[in-house]
Amino acid sequence: MTHHAPTNIPTNGPGELVVRGAHVLDPSSGLDGVMDVRVLEGRIAEVGKDLKGTRTLEADGLHLFPGFVDVHAHWRTPGREDEETIETGSAAAAAGGFTSVVMMPNTDPVIDRPVVVSGLVRRIERESRVRAYVSAALHEGLKGERLTEMRLMREAGAFCVSDDGLGTQSAGVLRNAMLYAKDAGMPVILHCEDHTLATGVVHDGVAAALAGLPGSPGSAEDVATATALVLAAETGAKVHVTHVSTALSAALVGFFKGSVSGVDVTADTTPHHLTLTDDLVRTLEGMYRVNPPLRPEADKLSVGEALRDGILDFVATDHAPHASEEKDLPLEEAAPGFLGHETAFSALYTEMVLGGGLSLERLVGAMASAPGRWVDDGARRLESGASADLALVDLSEEWTVRAEGLLSRSGNSPYIGRTLKGRIVATMVGGELVQDRTGARFGLRA
Amino acid sequence: MRAKDLLTLEGASRADLREVLDLARDYASGTLDRPLLGKTVCLSFFEASTRTAVSFELAARRAGADVISLSEKGSSIQKGEGLVDTIVTLDSLGADAIVLRHPAAGAARIAALHTDAAVINAGDGRGQHPTQALLDLHALSGRFGGFEELEGRKVAVVGDVLHSRVARSIIPAFQAAGMQLAIVAPSTLLPLEAGAWGLPVLPSVDDAIDWGADVLYALRLQKERMTGGSPRVPSVGEYARYYGVARRHLEDGAVVMHPGPVNRGVEVAGDVVLDPSSLIADQVGSGVAVRSAVLALATGVARSRVAA
Repeated sequence: MTHHAPTNIPTNGPGELVVRGAHVLDPSSGLDGVMDVRVLEGRIAEVGKDLKGTRTLEADGLHLFPGFVDVHAHWRTPGREDEETIETGSAAAAAGGFTSVVMMPNTDPVIDRPVVVSGLVRRIERESRVRAYVSAALHEGLKGERLTEMRLMREAGAFCVSDDGLGTQSAGVLRNAMLYAKDAGMPVILHCEDHTLATGVVHDGVAAALAGLPGSPGSAEDVATATALVLAAETGAKVHVTHVSTALSAALVGFFKGSVSGVDVTADTTPHHLTLTDDLVRTLEGMYRVNPPLRPEADKLSVGEALRDGILDFVATDHAPHASEEKDLPLEEAAPGFLGHETAFSALYTEMVLGGGLSLERLVGAMASAPGRWVDDGARRLESGASADLALVDLSEEWTVRAEGLLSRSGNSPYIGRTLKGRIVATMVGGELVQDRTGARFGLRA
Repeated sequence: MRAKDLLTLEGASRADLREVLDLARDYASGTLDRPLLGKTVCLSFFEASTRTAVSFELAARRAGADVISLSEKGSSIQKGEGLVDTIVTLDSLGADAIVLRHPAAGAARIAALHTDAAVINAGDGRGQHPTQALLDLHALSGRFGGFEELEGRKVAVVGDVLHSRVARSIIPAFQAAGMQLAIVAPSTLLPLEAGAWGLPVLPSVDDAIDWGADVLYALRLQKERMTGGSPRVPSVGEYARYYGVARRHLEDGAVVMHPGPVNRGVEVAGDVVLDPSSLIADQVGSGVAVRSAVLALATGVARSRVAA
């Protein structure tokens, strides 16, 4: 089977490097302890004690994880390069410890034709710091009417297909699209939202009622999630439900995984749905508009439990940059979406791991191992022979999120002003340091 | 005496097929002495058709029959007369054979319950189109040197099997003739139970050639399969790339067939339709003799040697 891994990153990064003394944690290979990792020619050569190399990185007190994988990002290219480019998006990803990213197709033009896919693949090769996978559109123009040329787009380099941003309003179209994607050998990432129910701008809850904002009920997501799961079961397509945000949708995913035969389903939720609630919309600020909307505390807790228990397989950020003129507005008029790459690990470590809702091991599994398996079909592990895609993290560092400190071209992070614990020190893709804050405290010793 | 209907080719035996084809061969070679003289053949077309209607009409007239056609505009069908009433009327007029085209599967079977005339299914919905499969076998026999030579040949049925009555007739008929079959189609143009026929499903015509296909049988793709509430195919370009028969597929001797009308450049590349390796013209040419034979056997003027 051809594998459409991005080809932009050389695996023969700088010769040899030993990361010494970090606490290595990789749920896939079972590593959990202080050890050294020797990287040679872009690959992990050795994991063990007292390793020597021509260059070393002293990492005492730091944690070393497999590189994070973000299956859901909007780099706004082509069309809105004023909000994000492949260069700034991938820099933001690297700053957040991400070494692989899946780019969503709701750009301008939509990624719905082979020539657009091949054009984007060429730009990724030139401009991206991290591995970037192209998700092509599930239907033409994301209008939910005509199928796209999935087989030709796969040949042009697309990795998967998605209806992200809009969903697919006709179950009949969705069913055919799933069948066709299965033939094309591509997984389907689904944005589950029923437009006849999703008529508001925030969750239809207490906060919406008190604030006077039009609400979209949880059923807008749940009905569409149920439809997607039923069709996934019937067609046998490989389906990934993205940004699950309600307790019921998480439960539906769990039911189908556990009780329905023939399903090949995975699901993710986002850092913001795991850490923030719809109380924030009481501010009426455009910043807090997002889709699916922030939910009440009970949904947040249930989604977190579903992630902990593996019902939800992993975290994806839905990194959605917006220009200030689209966010600095009354909530009803603002564009939906949050930045995600640069704060994902820190927000989840602070709120969930230190908050007691998730083990560090599960967080690494949810940010690296599980999404890594999804994109690479099991190839990604922190073990000898694997590509050196790594995240080096200081769990003790506290930092305050500020727009001007972010590498994204936009500044719409809901965590701005918050102090978070745990920060990415360095990110390595194919042995090459694509994010490097080591100089300040550690330095490379030749 | 009950006439012999031709409703379906499901369950047809090798001997059944052979009998029609032998008689058609005789007729095609000129030994056709107005066998249907004095017989009345009614063409009853509840659905638009040009080539099948013309072929049946010519087949009936060449064999000497009187022909009544209810396919014309202004007929009782046009005025909305129902299937059963039309059949009863034709029966009362003394029809010996009723050739029926209808948009619903099973129409021919229902019709046969209401008349003693022989009912010839000229296509019912997605159900069956038995004379198409018979004329296909006639054309194939001509190309490969006789009916016996079809044994073991490999046929790839390409395209919209889901909506195709032709597929539902050629699959059992070709199998009865000893041919090996595979299907080449996207899942969106197959029933959900794509294994219903027990045939391999291949992802492209290229794969069919690798499988060893001697015959590429392309089915017509309705353009509306790309749009509407249930899109099944993204574009002509993508369909032609994976499911279109191109010149490169014929390099090792495979022949191309199509029940017509062909969408050139979609199911079959434009430069292939009339290529010497194309059987498409032979298929049309086989229609009249095969349908004369079917009518002669159905009305009993040609005595069947095959036990009913």
